[in-house]
Amino acid sequence: MANIDLDKMLEKVRGSQWQLSEIDWDAPGAEMITDEQRPKLTRFMSDLVWIEHVGARGFAAMAKNAPDETLRQLYTYFHAEEQRHANAELALMRRWGMLEEGDIPTPNTNIRLSIEWLDRYADDLPYHVLGSVIPALEVALDGALCKFLLDEVSDPVCHQVFAKINDDESRHLGVGFTVMEMQGHDKTLLQLVQMITPAVDPRVALGLVVYWPLLNKMRDNVVAMGLSEERLYGAMKKFEKIGGRTAAGRRNPFFQVISRHMKTVMDREQWLYHVPVDLLVKLTDRIPERLLPAVPSWVKELTAEPYA
Amino acid sequence: MKGAQQKLSGDPVNATSTTVVPMAKQGPLSVVIVGAGFAGIGMAIKLKQAGINDFVILERDQRVGGTWRDNQYPGAACDIPSNLYSYSFAQNPQWSRAFSGAPEILDYIDGMVEQFGLMASIRFNSNVQGMHFDEDAGLWTLPCRDGARWQARSVVMASGPLANCSLPDIRGIGDFTGKVIHSARWDHDYDFSGKKVAVIGTGASAVQIIPELVKQARHVSVFQRTPGWVLPRPDYRTPAWQRRLFERFPAAQSAVREALFYGHESMALGLIWDSPLTRALERFARWHLRRQVNDRWMRRQLTPDYRLGCKRVLMSSDYYPALQQPNCKLVTWPIDRISEQGICTAEGVEHRFDCIVCATGFEVSHQGSPYPVTGVGGRALADDWAGGAQAYKSVNISGYPNLFLTFGPNSGPGHNSALVYMESQLDYALQGIDRILRDNLRMLDVKPDVQKRYNAGIQKRLARTNWNSGCKSWYLTPEGFNATMYPGFATQYANQLKGIEEKDYVMVPA
Repeated sequence: MANIDLDKMLEKVRGSQWQLSEIDWDAPGAEMITDEQRPKLTRFMSDLVWIEHVGARGFAAMAKNAPDETLRQLYTYFHAEEQRHANAELALMRRWGMLEEGDIPTPNTNIRLSIEWLDRYADDLPYHVLGSVIPALEVALDGALCKFLLDEVSDPVCHQVFAKINDDESRHLGVGFTVMEMQGHDKTLLQLVQMITPAVDPRVALGLVVYWPLLNKMRDNVVAMGLSEERLYGAMKKFEKIGGRTAAGRRNPFFQVISRHMKTVMDREQWLYHVPVDLLVKLTDRIPERLLPAVPSWVKELTAEPYA
Repeated sequence: MKGAQQKLSGDPVNATSTTVVPMAKQGPLSVVIVGAGFAGIGMAIKLKQAGINDFVILERDQRVGGTWRDNQYPGAACDIPSNLYSYSFAQNPQWSRAFSGAPEILDYIDGMVEQFGLMASIRFNSNVQGMHFDEDAGLWTLPCRDGARWQARSVVMASGPLANCSLPDIRGIGDFTGKVIHSARWDHDYDFSGKKVAVIGTGASAVQIIPELVKQARHVSVFQRTPGWVLPRPDYRTPAWQRRLFERFPAAQSAVREALFYGHESMALGLIWDSPLTRALERFARWHLRRQVNDRWMRRQLTPDYRLGCKRVLMSSDYYPALQQPNCKLVTWPIDRISEQGICTAEGVEHRFDCIVCATGFEVSHQGSPYPVTGVGGRALADDWAGGAQAYKSVNISGYPNLFLTFGPNSGPGHNSALVYMESQLDYALQGIDRILRDNLRMLDVKPDVQKRYNAGIQKRLARTNWNSGCKSWYLTPEGFNATMYPGFATQYANQLKGIEEKDYVMVPA
């Protein structure tokens, strides 16, 4: 078992809050973004904002289903912190001249569908599923995307912001892996089967149809921007290593399923998976704008403004 | 006794404690009542009706009314129908609304003081600093902040469980440079028009304040930690014919009161215990939310994730519509701290305001009394209650003879009028006081084992209630001990207080 005392972690989280106003958004450094970088970086940052924002909604669902009050409060904070990350990334985009005041980046179709699915079904999703998916996504975010960004961008404000974001993410990961291990701890085969059963649900199946193309699209986007595939593999190996470092963690069936799935997503050679999923990406791209559902009101909470 | 009585009757109507004759000359009273709220005034009426006139009411403020004097925020009203939220022995046929507002309830209390001639018995600005029992003399002594010392053979502690308001325990609350108003200490001179206002809390006071503030302020942000279950409040202006009917035929009002009583009594099945009625009420509350709130995310944020009844159920038909006004915003992010200019929340934004309204409730006395109480052998109530407040039938405490509580431990209703419970307490206290005076008792003290058995039973029953089903509420201590609520019907509560059972008490003659 990971040795994290969740009550102490909650206190730590409470004591580690930071505000957008602590960053000097007009400090020198914005000019370090080159014209060559700008278009790619705009797409990258947009995706990053939406990953954080969708992750925030995932934590909101976990707070609803948390097994105890400490975890409920932790997830409530994590929900807000992911929103803070998205807000800070929006503020960076605005600083770099990628967004006008009050604007938010336009989500692609797969993001829109994910948002709609999350809004409708995430609260009913088995806790164990989100409990494993979110750490996997966070590892990808923390271990690959953010590091890539910091390698590419020299703006000191960006580094300052991501130092704070990474601090938060390390706590999210600490709790995430602890929970994954808790879920696998001392479970009999029957209990493990009972864990899996709620995931056999048409809403989960629909979620996969939305989630798989989203991952494929994002993966291809970031690789197209120059992120090496090795970094993504490295991130997934980290997930496998930390999540599977104890017998309890390895016994969690969702850890096993998700780590295998993430490896498959990263490996373009796995054509049996990628051909149909890529087809789904193409199909979803063809959905006319007018048929896409309206964005839910929680999306409108995104703001680059430190003050309200 | 007589001497004290004569001096009392000679006191001016608005006498303050500065006019009090020193106790050495005055002699002990039969009864001292602490607090001139609903309970204290009710007790005084009962005493007078029983022919006991040598009592005083010590009131720390300058006027009567207790909670209703303090809670005069915009929209303050009762959430039990007025015909039930009033005393059966002082019914008011003239209630202007089904759920009357705080000013009218305060008028009602004033009316009782006048009708029963109680003003002469009230000592305003008398802030009790402690209570000490002298077992040899069988007397309680109550020193007040102004130096006066009152002595009486019995004391009725009617200080109220919701007398002291508390600011929320949020880092930086003292740093805010704008206006801070607590719902129970409303500043009527503050002009909200054009102001940006934050309301912290979404409990019973907040759901009444917010709709009114939204009408006045430029913008209102509502900071919610936990949503409450909200049921519609069927409020209406009472028709003139109804008032005339009640005026001419008091029996008609009594019949309505009875119907309301049993209607609320049936709600216990859903509010106190987990039952199919609980599910039905939850469905009804969700329907109310769906009907009033279109936005799915907002509905989600306003849907509680604990069982209905676990926290106080809120009654409002205008809270949800107010939240959706263009000048109102519901904020559910955790509050990190309060800054000089506003409230910093965990999504990284500092929300700036001209005024912060704290609708965060009261310091409920779970573990101690508001002032030191010393009983037999110098025992301190704060020590006896360190593990959670306990009493016998919520009225008497073993080791503290001749002391009667109103709204003592485990007397709170979750489904019916608090005043119905209070009437039972007053009648029980009156029986005890009458016994002390009639039988000339030095001490009337409940036996410790009787109290212990009673509380074991109460806690066993509480374990099966919705209040103890896992949520955090002001009903429970931080450790989860429920010293607040009575786990049963109002009828059960009243039945247990019908008469004093001699075998439960130690009675020591003077």
